[in-house]
Amino acid sequence: MIKVYIMIALIGVLGAGAYGAKYYYDTTQNTITQLRNNNAKLEVANETNKATIKKMGENAKRLNDLTTALNEDLRKAEVYGDELRDTLSKHNLTHLANKKPGLIEKRMQNATDELWDNLESITDSNTPTE
Amino acid sequence: MNFGITLSLLLIATLLLSSCSSIRPEPEIVTVTEIIERTIPTVAHPKPVRMNDVKVYVVSPTENFEQFMVEFKKKNGTDSYIAISVKDYENLSKNFAELSRYIKQQKQIIIYYEKAVINEPSTISVGEN
Repeated sequence: MIKVYIMIALIGVLGAGAYGAKYYYDTTQNTITQLRNNNAKLEVANETNKATIKKMGENAKRLNDLTTALNEDLRKAEVYGDELRDTLSKHNLTHLANKKPGLIEKRMQNATDELWDNLESITDSNTPTE
Repeated sequence: MNFGITLSLLLIATLLLSSCSSIRPEPEIVTVTEIIERTIPTVAHPKPVRMNDVKVYVVSPTENFEQFMVEFKKKNGTDSYIAISVKDYENLSKNFAELSRYIKQQKQIIIYYEKAVINEPSTISVGEN
């Protein structure tokens, strides 16, 4: 009689073991599938990140180029004032006006007309900046 | 009997070695890619300035003062005139040069920002999901 009980218990244990093994196999397979899917998603995310970083680098370079060009343009805008100050410091305009008022008047008139034209030009949106 | 104990030990060992991974399911990774493009519209520039002509007289007390008076009266009647010294005229020129520089630089900065905010077509490309 004891042998029968032992047999039943053994069958029970073996059955539980088999069920456990099957359960373990199924869950492991599910985990493997889940990990494979996760890996694929992470690879795509990694590619997206790489592409984003590349794009950010290109944008940074573009902005850097624009800033360099802007600094150059800002420096060029100083030229007219520098030249004017240089010209005025070289010549004694008071003396020249006293001696040759007609000549200086003509030059001043031309310079004034040129300045108005220049102001009209630089405030025109169709005119490219220097 | 020994077989039963061995089998039990094997089952327990399997459970311990797998660190109860069968109990905790592997979390699913969710990736969300969101591309946000800035949309800053550029506005039209203001209309350019229109300058009026200004006549400049250079008058020397010893050279052409009388001639100036005759010409001025002929052109403007008995109007008064505003005199400015040569030095002040130079300063006026320098002031206008400064204004000109400022306008140019402001315009260049505006153009810089306009170029900077232009949305370029997105070049981000990723593999198949």
